[in-house]
Amino acid sequence: MADDTAVGYENILVEVSAPIATITLNRPKVLNALSPDLIREVNEALGELDADSNVRAVVLTGGARVFAAGADISDMADRTAVDQLQRDQTGRWAGIAAFSKPLIAAVNGYALGGGCELALMCDLIIAGDSARLGQPEINLGIIPGAGGTQRWPRTAGKHAAMEVMLLGAPVTARRAYELGLVNKVVPAEMTITAAQRIARQAAEKAPLAARMAKEAVLKAFETPLAEGLAVERKSFYFLFSTEDQKEGMHAFLEKRRGVFKGK
Amino acid sequence: MATEVEQHIKVDVEGGVGWIRFNRPEKMNAIGTLTRKQLGDAIKQAEKDDAVRVVVLTGSGRAFCSGADVTEMVGDGQMRTPEDVGNVLRNEYMPMLTRLRTMPKPVIAAMNGPAVGIGASYALACDIRIAVPEAYLLEAFINIGLAPDGGVSWLLPRLVGTGVAYEMFFTGKPLSATDAHRLGVINRVVPQERFEEEVRELATQLAAQPPKAMAAAKRAVNHALESSYEEALEFESYLQEAQAASQEFVDGVQAFLARRAKK
Repeated sequence: MADDTAVGYENILVEVSAPIATITLNRPKVLNALSPDLIREVNEALGELDADSNVRAVVLTGGARVFAAGADISDMADRTAVDQLQRDQTGRWAGIAAFSKPLIAAVNGYALGGGCELALMCDLIIAGDSARLGQPEINLGIIPGAGGTQRWPRTAGKHAAMEVMLLGAPVTARRAYELGLVNKVVPAEMTITAAQRIARQAAEKAPLAARMAKEAVLKAFETPLAEGLAVERKSFYFLFSTEDQKEGMHAFLEKRRGVFKGK
Repeated sequence: MATEVEQHIKVDVEGGVGWIRFNRPEKMNAIGTLTRKQLGDAIKQAEKDDAVRVVVLTGSGRAFCSGADVTEMVGDGQMRTPEDVGNVLRNEYMPMLTRLRTMPKPVIAAMNGPAVGIGASYALACDIRIAVPEAYLLEAFINIGLAPDGGVSWLLPRLVGTGVAYEMFFTGKPLSATDAHRLGVINRVVPQERFEEEVRELATQLAAQPPKAMAAAKRAVNHALESSYEEALEFESYLQEAQAASQEFVDGVQAFLARRAKK
């Protein structure tokens, strides 16, 4: 399939280069502030890419300079609790939660507040060496509202999470790597390329297995061990009903590389 | 009437070289409050200014820098509070020294004379050191009952090993230019009469080198100092990929081929 840039979005760019796609947050003037429209577009794009069988992995990036510096504060300063509840902006990431394929964040510059939480929702994070990740909400008298208080401790542990939430200062790419929050640190000008390369690696694997693996790993954060193990076992047995499992194992025995169809 | 502000730091930009000169010869270039402010500004400006491709840090008169202005520390018969001592290190020296070590251009310490205490920290934070035979490095902290600061506990063991570093920290005795040269801490020792000229020559030579390639070398080294061998290899591979896409590489290869054709 030829390269293709989807049209119809105002706040993001979507580029499909099968078998991967790249979503770029594209509000550079406001450091990719996460407006309701931008969030809606990301969700929509992910929905389309989930349904597109030519796409097997997706990179989510903010481009060369900034990932996303949180929400639009000027828009929030005078809102009431009821306004916020009704808009429920922070809860509207259902598209990411439902996305079944590998999703890789390519983070350059600041990933702050909602921007950092968005990166944490992805499956892998590749960071440029100048990246800074943090939850500075406390400096504004609020707390993270899109999963930060829950995903940070699950990934980086309680004490690192507390440091970031209570002091409001971001961590460097290097520190984030040491905390296990970031998979790889590369020179900033290569972040997107590196993430796309990793997406292509993931796209070569058996899609159904990738989907089951992702589901099972995400379950680990939400279930007791016995229940998670049960999910894993069922998925494991289920995959023996797929063509990809036959292909994968025969290719291994024949010392060739498996070609997976997602069937 | 406005009084003229003393110039504790003198800055000149000439032929791609940014000269930052400690300018308190009557005090052996001791660093006081005003010096710190002006030095910080000069280093920041040198990093920002595209006309500066190489930075030279040097002193006027007989010394490179004799360290913190102790008369200021105990001025008015009042010792500076311990908290002040810590705060000056964290809030003023730390950002400056970090900037010196990480700015994307070469920084040369031209040691026209002794570098003592925090003065030695500045010399050691530079990328390359060139010195007159009369120069020396002195970790003077012990002589007034203090511990090493300004990053030398990190830099010196990396440059000379822990044995020599401890000897310097424990005895407070100078490391002569000749010995420092033998240990690889000082790159070149040049007699007074040729010193300025040779510094200028080296700086001018570096100013003509491909700037992005030099910046990449500095980035690679700084990254490698905090990583494993394999992490360093991988980071290099990405830096090289970016550099291989640069005009500097195209021009460099063309010049190389033209030189070979001439032979």
